[in-house]
Amino acid sequence: MVAVTESGLLVPVAESASLRNTVTYAVEHALDHADEDGSSASIHFVYPLPERVSYVDRSGRTDAAESLLDRVASWAEEDAGDADLTVETALIATHVYLSTPGDYADVLVRYAEREGLDRAMFDPRYDPIGSTPLLPSLEAEVRRAGLDVDEAPVSAEQQQSQLVRSGTLTQFFTLFAASFLFYLVLAGSLKAFELATGAISAGIVAVSLWRVSLTSSVDPLRTVKRLARFVLYVPFLLWEIAKANFQIAYIVLHPALPIQPKTVEFDAAVWSSLPVTTLANSITLTPGTLTVDVERSHLVVHSLTASAREDLFAGTLERAVRFVFYGRAAARIPSPIERRESEEGEE
Amino acid sequence: MTPREIAVLVLSLGAVFFAIVAAVGLLRLPDIYARAHSTSKSETLGAVLALAAVATSYGLGHNTLKVVLLLLFMFLTNPTAAHAITRAARERGIEPWTTEDEQ
Repeated sequence: MVAVTESGLLVPVAESASLRNTVTYAVEHALDHADEDGSSASIHFVYPLPERVSYVDRSGRTDAAESLLDRVASWAEEDAGDADLTVETALIATHVYLSTPGDYADVLVRYAEREGLDRAMFDPRYDPIGSTPLLPSLEAEVRRAGLDVDEAPVSAEQQQSQLVRSGTLTQFFTLFAASFLFYLVLAGSLKAFELATGAISAGIVAVSLWRVSLTSSVDPLRTVKRLARFVLYVPFLLWEIAKANFQIAYIVLHPALPIQPKTVEFDAAVWSSLPVTTLANSITLTPGTLTVDVERSHLVVHSLTASAREDLFAGTLERAVRFVFYGRAAARIPSPIERRESEEGEE
Repeated sequence: MTPREIAVLVLSLGAVFFAIVAAVGLLRLPDIYARAHSTSKSETLGAVLALAAVATSYGLGHNTLKVVLLLLFMFLTNPTAAHAITRAARERGIEPWTTEDEQ
């Protein structure tokens, strides 16, 4: 066997449920391919870790990425067994700001060109941006750049969640109904003309945005419950806002300007994008606190006074948001200050 | 004056008061973050009270519904704008102003 040519496989990785499975598949694929044309097999696992100036705990994120890459490399070696396989790992794009699938494709293709890789394999759950589905367009971009693109298959266990996709029909109709209702509310009449134009507009909105605006499946009962609890939340929030304003008015108009501004950070005990958004906006609207930055559920909050910080850590708002989205049971999770104390107790 | 006119007047006065507080805060507070507090909160309440006055003067009806929707959008967009501005400031590396005794 003359191993002169080397055809490598590029595998972008990030935390994902199907990553382990993808690694196995990528290793098999690389070994098969190497057998066919007599080249030596090599796999490059890359982790795009884009720049984010605001990120305070950058080293923490780098560490997390590196440990993921180490884990992936050891899995690959485990899967390869005795077979001859070169495994490389790399953190890429550490000094660029990536936002669109095109940006991601660019850095991947550039890496592939530099390392002489001609094939790429994607994890079916690869989603580094974490909000909108990125994979199909990313694959298309990379393919256009001349690489062979492959996607690891979904295993039986993950097929289950694929089935939830039939729920996307519900998503479609939810979006359609919401747009239609909104249109009719604005139109303010139920004439045939309004009904027809409304249906057309709602149809266009639903067709073009149903994959974008509703990323999780819609459970009608849960949504109704959430809305009901949200209606309870609004008066509470309004009351907090009113309080906030009198407090700010007092501070601003006080001759001595009694402020002690300070930036604090904490991890909120809410889990997906909508609750985090609600919490962040509510924090901004309530006494002396302003959300500056959010990374998943890590909030950076600027507070104007010491009492505002105490209120924030007492977690009343956070509890209320949890109540809205997850029900009464979830509201009883310890507040940020209690969580912090218990962490310090453990250490 | 009818009760409705009084309510409209009170709401408008509230709106003017909080808009002024927002402006004063914008001038008096020390840095961009603190100023964003003033603009995000007082501005929101000022605008919301003004819209509430508009809604009250319309009375119950279709227009009021539109105003209420507008109000909702104010609640969503105002904090978001404040968030975007302060985040941009943070990404530029602007340090928040603090009182001397705190370190």
